[in-house]
Amino acid sequence: MSLERPELARLQHWMQEVVVHPGTVEEAIESDAAKNEIPSERLSEVVLPSHSMTSAERVDVYHGMYLMRMEEALETDYPVIRYRLGDHQFAHLVREYVQRYPSTSYTLNRLGDHLPQFFLDQPNWPEAAFLHDLARLELAMTEVFDEEESPVLGAAELEAVPSEAWEEARLRPISAFRLLAFRHAVIPNLVAFHEDRPSPSPRRRATWVALYRRDYSVLRLELSRAEYDLLKAIVDGAPLGEALATAAASKSQRQQAKVFRWFRTWISEGLFSAIES
Amino acid sequence: MNDNRWGLPDLGLGVGLRTTHYAHILSERPKIGFFEILTENYLDTGGRPLFMLDQISERYPTVMHGVSMSIGSTDPINFDYLAKVKNLAERTGSLWVSDHICWTGVLGRNTHDLLPLPYTEETLAHSVERIKIVQDFLERPLVLENPSTYLEFADNDMTEWEFVARLAGEADCGLLFDVNNVYVSAYNHGYDPVTYIDAIPADRVCQYHLAGHTNKGTHIIDTHSDHVVDPVWELFGYTIRTVGLRATLLEWDADIPPFEVVHQEVLKAGDWRRQEVANVA
Repeated sequence: MSLERPELARLQHWMQEVVVHPGTVEEAIESDAAKNEIPSERLSEVVLPSHSMTSAERVDVYHGMYLMRMEEALETDYPVIRYRLGDHQFAHLVREYVQRYPSTSYTLNRLGDHLPQFFLDQPNWPEAAFLHDLARLELAMTEVFDEEESPVLGAAELEAVPSEAWEEARLRPISAFRLLAFRHAVIPNLVAFHEDRPSPSPRRRATWVALYRRDYSVLRLELSRAEYDLLKAIVDGAPLGEALATAAASKSQRQQAKVFRWFRTWISEGLFSAIES
Repeated sequence: MNDNRWGLPDLGLGVGLRTTHYAHILSERPKIGFFEILTENYLDTGGRPLFMLDQISERYPTVMHGVSMSIGSTDPINFDYLAKVKNLAERTGSLWVSDHICWTGVLGRNTHDLLPLPYTEETLAHSVERIKIVQDFLERPLVLENPSTYLEFADNDMTEWEFVARLAGEADCGLLFDVNNVYVSAYNHGYDPVTYIDAIPADRVCQYHLAGHTNKGTHIIDTHSDHVVDPVWELFGYTIRTVGLRATLLEWDADIPPFEVVHQEVLKAGDWRRQEVANVA
């Protein structure tokens, strides 16, 4: 290979291969991908040594900072997973994850978007199924945090709906809303993180959660299966009459009262942005 | 004192806007010349960051500082990104948009680091062409910062200061002169920072940056995690004597202390500015 003087593109391809390599800088420089651009024995002809550092040590400044930066970014979005795994295992996770899903965006804010999928793809990863659920929860929290602001359906708009129109009316959720079903008890881990208590071990327990934003804070409602089913029907666009009747059908008066109490809570919490009648 | 060629105002003393300071800024309304935002933090959010930014940019002049323009990359220019940058500049009324003389990734990837460019004629021509395209698209001055670098390429055709001066002249763009970065790179590469400052075209400098760094012994890392060291203050004094007074911003991005600490640190730059004005008078 001729290396009179590497073109800018070749130099950049080489440097990126070295910087993002998961091993040591020596392994990175010796990797096939890097050597394909610049032979390792030519390193000092490409990067000058300084008075105190070799060429490889100077490249290692960039190489070493790459994973630290990725770790910082993923810790910002996944603090509960970081808390569960601890320093060493989280660093290992980050190294593996960014090899599979490197950043292709101008922002680090969405670096972790594939973490739930990563755990699905890696069923042998310790606690993979639980971490998949936990990653879905934390990813949804970041999405709710960043969603566009929506108008919130107010009492006046509800009162303006004629009584005969309620049966066919449909409610539209605010943008900053996510409805989630999990196979594991993820909330105790979230609470333990916030209360600085030991992270509980994974436990299988069906869990239903609504995440939403109010006054720019991300909030959650923990739901029963029945609440989840009703809320899902509503946000999926079912007419209110049909959704409420299904939820309350063949149930006691007490159950019916409970359904209407749920409904009032969701309205007062600002989960909906509009009613279409 | 000299002005920049665009007539962009000297906004006085500013600090980088950080989320941990939002509440203090809005409740205490500190007396400060301007805030600089990290562009990418506000491009894809409709939540609290944008809400806070709207309130702060109503009360204070705001300028935008990005890290992902990747002006020296051999990848295609990302016009979707630039469109978002332009929209945000319009929303905040940013007088100028800045980024770095660097590249951040190729082949569709982003390392999210400010990677060094070889200072060659090829790099210069490539970067100049891209800067012109970006400036035309943004319809406002693009101001580029000299980065801290930790390695030098063997095939450089020119020094960094020659490269920076020629880049700004040939692309007709502005410069954000980071005094700490000059100190860091001078330490890492063994050159005289004063030579660098003397070579900078004053009429293209629109803003200064100051920051703390971490000295590892063999090299210095630009960590923005501490107070500005005395030699950098001395260089800042020399810079404003040589170049003139410009909007001066303190960056503090890691181990961020309370707002008052950051504010006090940038007020030291005010002392240097007053001293230099008095000397000129």
